[in-house]
Amino acid sequence: MYLELSHLQKSFGDRAVVQDLSLSLEQGELLCILGASGCGKTTTLNLIGGFLRPDGGQILLDGQDITHLPPERRPVTTVFQSYGLFPHMTVLQNVMYGLKFRSMKKSEAREKGLRYLELVGLSDYAGARIYEISGGQQQRVALARALIVEPKLCLLDEPFSNLDAALRVKMRRELKAIQRELGMTMVFVTHDQEEALILSDRMAILEGGRLRQYGRPLDIYRHPADDFVSRFLGLEELVWREDGSLLKFIRRPDPQEA
Amino acid sequence: MRKKLPILALTLALLLSACGQTASEPSATPAASPEASVPVESETPQAPELSGTMKVVATSDAYGPLFDAFTADTGVEVEVLSMSSGEVLSRLRAEGGTPSADLWFGGGVDSFMSAKDDGLLEQVTFDAADELDPAYKDADGYWYSKGITIVGFLVNNTLLSELGLEAPQTWTDLLDSQYAGEIIMSNPAVSGTNYAVVNAILQTMGEEEGWNYFEALNDNIAYYSRRGSDPSNRVISDEYAIGITYLDGTIDALVEQYDVTAIYPTDGIPWVPEGVAVFKDAENVEAAKYFVEWLFSSDEHLTQLAEIDQKTGVKIIKPDMEGVELSFDTSILMEEDLSLFGSQREAILERFEALMGDKAADE
Amino acid sequence: MNNPVHTGSTRASLRDALVRVGNNGADRLLLLMLLGSICLFVFWPILCILLRSFAGEGGPTAQAYQEVWSGYRANLFNSLFVGAFTALFCTLFSVCTALFISTRRGWVRLACMAVLLISMVSPPFVSSLAYIQLYGRRGWITYRLLGLTWDPYNCWGVIWMQSISFVPLNALFLIGLLSKLDTDSLQAARDLGAQPGAILRDMVLPLLRPGVLVTLLLSFVRSLADFETPVIIGGRFSTIASEIYLQLVGYSDLEKSAAMNMFLLLPAVAAFFLYRRLMRRSDQLFLGNSRSRQGGLSLELRRCGAAGVLCTTVSLLFFLMMVLQYGCIFLSGFLKRTKGVYSFTLDYWNTLWSRDAATMGRSVLYALIVALAGTLFAMVFAYYMDRRRVPGRGLFDCLVTLPYMLPGSCFGIGYILAFNHEPLKLTGTAAIVILNMLFKQLPTTTKICSASLAQVPESLERAARDLGGSRLSVLRDVILPGLRPAFLSCFAYNFSSSMTTAGAILFLINPGKKLAVFQLFDAVYTGNYALASLMASSIIVIVLAVEGLVYFITWKGASRRVS
Repeated sequence: MYLELSHLQKSFGDRAVVQDLSLSLEQGELLCILGASGCGKTTTLNLIGGFLRPDGGQILLDGQDITHLPPERRPVTTVFQSYGLFPHMTVLQNVMYGLKFRSMKKSEAREKGLRYLELVGLSDYAGARIYEISGGQQQRVALARALIVEPKLCLLDEPFSNLDAALRVKMRRELKAIQRELGMTMVFVTHDQEEALILSDRMAILEGGRLRQYGRPLDIYRHPADDFVSRFLGLEELVWREDGSLLKFIRRPDPQEA
Repeated sequence: MRKKLPILALTLALLLSACGQTASEPSATPAASPEASVPVESETPQAPELSGTMKVVATSDAYGPLFDAFTADTGVEVEVLSMSSGEVLSRLRAEGGTPSADLWFGGGVDSFMSAKDDGLLEQVTFDAADELDPAYKDADGYWYSKGITIVGFLVNNTLLSELGLEAPQTWTDLLDSQYAGEIIMSNPAVSGTNYAVVNAILQTMGEEEGWNYFEALNDNIAYYSRRGSDPSNRVISDEYAIGITYLDGTIDALVEQYDVTAIYPTDGIPWVPEGVAVFKDAENVEAAKYFVEWLFSSDEHLTQLAEIDQKTGVKIIKPDMEGVELSFDTSILMEEDLSLFGSQREAILERFEALMGDKAADE
Repeated sequence: MNNPVHTGSTRASLRDALVRVGNNGADRLLLLMLLGSICLFVFWPILCILLRSFAGEGGPTAQAYQEVWSGYRANLFNSLFVGAFTALFCTLFSVCTALFISTRRGWVRLACMAVLLISMVSPPFVSSLAYIQLYGRRGWITYRLLGLTWDPYNCWGVIWMQSISFVPLNALFLIGLLSKLDTDSLQAARDLGAQPGAILRDMVLPLLRPGVLVTLLLSFVRSLADFETPVIIGGRFSTIASEIYLQLVGYSDLEKSAAMNMFLLLPAVAAFFLYRRLMRRSDQLFLGNSRSRQGGLSLELRRCGAAGVLCTTVSLLFFLMMVLQYGCIFLSGFLKRTKGVYSFTLDYWNTLWSRDAATMGRSVLYALIVALAGTLFAMVFAYYMDRRRVPGRGLFDCLVTLPYMLPGSCFGIGYILAFNHEPLKLTGTAAIVILNMLFKQLPTTTKICSASLAQVPESLERAARDLGGSRLSVLRDVILPGLRPAFLSCFAYNFSSSMTTAGAILFLINPGKKLAVFQLFDAVYTGNYALASLMASSIIVIVLAVEGLVYFITWKGASRRVS
């Protein structure tokens, strides 16, 4: 297995946020961690990214134990929910920043930066300031910035939550295309069932810091492990495209909301 | 002029007020000397109808007991604010004829002379004024003197012995290059006391020689402080060995407490009278005018003042007064023509400023 | 300014319409009063100084300017020299201490904040005296401990002293900025491989740059206007500000000192416009991303290489000096030196409370009035300037800032010149003192309020108007509550400044209405250091106590409202 989390534990004070979490992922796959807010999904991401130290357990990436490496030495990058872009730099400078620590010549770095901007469709905005571009564009800068250093693993923390519905759909498709093109291994955190279903190769459902179900998305939808998962997914019907990809996810009306 | 240590003041006040009473009684009973009886009579019955409060700017807060006595006699409440005479003058000029105080109490007479020239003072005349030495009051009654300040040195014994120096005894001693950088003096523009030093030495030595003296002295002066009390303060805190400063009871108290000595220069002591005046167009001019009369007509009040000031110079101003004896010999005072104090002030300060500035530029 | 109210209101009843007109009228009245009082209490006194600088016996003349230009160019140069170095050193100290405090948690942070707070609220003169006691020719540290013979009475003494004493306000400002740093940006940088040193170099410092420039600028302007430090420890060295003081207390030459002030005003106005540009830039960097998480700075200075070592060393040195300085002040009030031997005494304590208790009470009362009225004024002013885009707001903003740039004594004289005749006669009243303090402190409080107002979303205000609220009720129900954090800082700043700033009121204060800081100045002046130290300590304790109380009340009030 390319990425292996085994028996991860994390508590804040008395509150256990992640309990005995074990997951694994093949190279080039995209894993969605799905759960309601407070389920421990962002904490899990922070454990993988190195922003938190686990209380117990182990994280293996490509055969290397990275459990105790600080974030700057992990071959892992993150796309933050708020993007965390550098407001004092231009778009290109943002994208190129990570290359600074990878002993690359300035001219080469610039070239690579432009290439990645092209990948996310922002070639025209290389010289723009962060506050001059739109939210969707900022999102792409954050993605390009995370991918340019060719990490072994890229983490995405609800990256589309700040975008409007139409843009979100578009970005999903683009992300999936880029992931396939680069063969990038990704872990994606979301609370949106549709997003998870459309994007993921593997899906993990978390509740109260515990893993409830793990597997291929369609398997989970078709065979929810228990009542909780079934209720949480709330699947009514799936609408497919002609090419066999999922178009839409229709939810069952929630009895509690009604 | 300066605030004193509270306990010392209290004991002194108690002691002296006892002396004051015993001293004034015999003068009142024989009624033989007309000078003594006239003011006592003229004071009590003459009290005009006064009301309100009298606002005073004084050089210190210490005059409370004296003003309390005035309140007891007249019913006029007194409020005091301490300010240096330069500040008073600036404020007066800014107020443009609507002074916020009534009485000006203390400070070098040079400021009073300027204020008179600017038309900021009220004329005050009263019978007992005749008993005051004309040398120490304005001929037209715009200001009077409540005492005189004398100037000498305060030296730090520890520092001098560390430096292996003898204490200077004369003004000429100060020119000795061994004192270079150890003498501190306040800027004559700020300190009436040190202005008196400059003017008196110029008068005594003569224009040319006097300026040569200050040129030479300038080489030894560490700096000219911008506040009048700095020289004595810096000497007691061991920062400088020699300060040119006023000498009065507060300095004596410092001599008691610290390892410092007051020195009365043997080649003459500069002095300056401290003024009293009423502000023109003040809200309670009448009360202030009466206060001046009240003060100078009574030896008892003057004695009380001398006790508070811890100075005996008031005896020079009213030579016939009883209750106060001079603590020094008047012969050591320098010859000064006070009338030149006001008229020469601007020219002297300007030249002095140039003289000080040259040194600053050299550094 | 008077946009038609939204369409829903067209159907409002006649009565509602009348109420609205009334409200709009009140709104305009409030605005007029606001701008009017700024003209009256800031512009008019400064204009009076300007006019006075041209006053001559035979009519208007520029003689004073010629005199200043020909005679005091060296002082101008000195002022600029000291200002430049003070700005440099002070900014270095401020940045280091701000970074040090921001990266610490727990008791170290608390202790450092406490030290900053104490030095914020301590009166200035006493610090100079403590400085002499510690670092003078015979200072406890320089001479007795280190055996140095050096002379602090020169321009470097002034620069050093100013640099130290301006740090607290600057450091607090920078700490405020640092706490607004976007945590995700910093994590992203780390994530991409940046070591702590690189984060400091590439992220924190560039983001802080406009703030650092503001610190430079404010220290420079403050140094130009500061007369107390050069007066007390300048020795032969004099700046324009100390010369203004000398002209006032020595020569009583109002014209010349007024002209000197005008020379200070020019760089000050230039500084103001620069300041505005920088702050706009800083806001862009810090508030550009409304989604950012503001979790404070988690950075290990230890791992930041030479820069981290420098930061830690400078901050520790600074805090050591502060602790020594305040230790010295607190102790001096209870020590008596007799022939070189120190002994404990309560004499000064007894003198203080028997003589000055009423004065203390009056000071607290005035300071409370200024703190309340001034804070309210600043909030309303910030609202009208930032949200209502009143025509000519740049001008008013500049006007309000001017008192910051002038030496306090000058602003005081301006008040006497402006308010000594009917119908504007205020000299001799308590009002002139209170007004002067209020307007002297407005530059800082309006800036605090503006910064805080930027955090209140404009949409909230629109929502309230949309629901039918008048402009005044928006102000009352949305803006003022939103400014609660600013209220606390403004109140604290106003209160402590009113208790400790003497420059302006030295000339305004009246017999019978003395204030504690005046008594303190008097004690310093007459050389009663022990009493001065004790008064300063008492003022510090009172200020901290009152501010603590206000903090407690507002905090409690707020939490009750929430529950």
